[in-house]
Amino acid sequence: MKVHVKNWHGIAQWRWDTGHSDMDDDGEGDVCGICRVPYEGCCPSCKMPGDDCPLIWGECSHVFHMHCLLQWIATSASKQQCPMDRRPWVTAERKANRDDNAAR
Amino acid sequence: MAVSTRRLQKELADLKKQGTPVGIDLLSADNFEEWFLSLEVLGETVFVGEVFCLRFRFDSSYPISSPAVQFVVDDKWQAPMHPHVYTNGHICASILGNEWSPVLSVVSVCVTLQSMLASCKEKKIPPGNDRYVRHAPDNPKETRFAYDDDT
Repeated sequence: MKVHVKNWHGIAQWRWDTGHSDMDDDGEGDVCGICRVPYEGCCPSCKMPGDDCPLIWGECSHVFHMHCLLQWIATSASKQQCPMDRRPWVTAERKANRDDNAAR
Repeated sequence: MAVSTRRLQKELADLKKQGTPVGIDLLSADNFEEWFLSLEVLGETVFVGEVFCLRFRFDSSYPISSPAVQFVVDDKWQAPMHPHVYTNGHICASILGNEWSPVLSVVSVCVTLQSMLASCKEKKIPPGNDRYVRHAPDNPKETRFAYDDDT
């Protein structure tokens, strides 16, 4: 059976909470510094964005697609350093919802 | 599709959309294995009026692995006479070796090399140039350079 979608209504959208709400000037959100694909997209090894291709946060505040960062950290050349600031990579706990923090 | 292809497609699109920094031009990017860019140092430097050609070679895991970058030396192009550039075009620069980071790009490498040339006070070839050039591998990534100063 073939189905033709005549129209659709979007009712929700999602984005990762990277702490940066602003879009850059080309209308795309921030990109992963390693693969240059938006955070809301997925790393080059994945096909579907979302929970299967999550982000990873460093204590240094830098954010990458988890798969991109782990691929880099697995190389000896990385010396286990953050690609942005070359500090030792320490994975941060996923930030709690900032509104919750503000309410406390 | 190789990871390198997707990343290089993005870099190429950005280059075409935003243009290259002053003094840097894309000469050819016909595939995602090898690109050529021209490099000129602006202002009053020892390289005034000279134009150089950079060759980038990418393997399929770029940008996790660094590109192989060298100056072209052939009938048309010469390598700059610089204490970190061998006469065969190989470059001793830490960002191409042990300080490579996958957030760097073709353009950021060009800009770094441009400023490396711009800060040069005296045209001199590297110590041990002849010995290095005689035994140098085709791919400069196979050379283990010692990065002994921060210039």
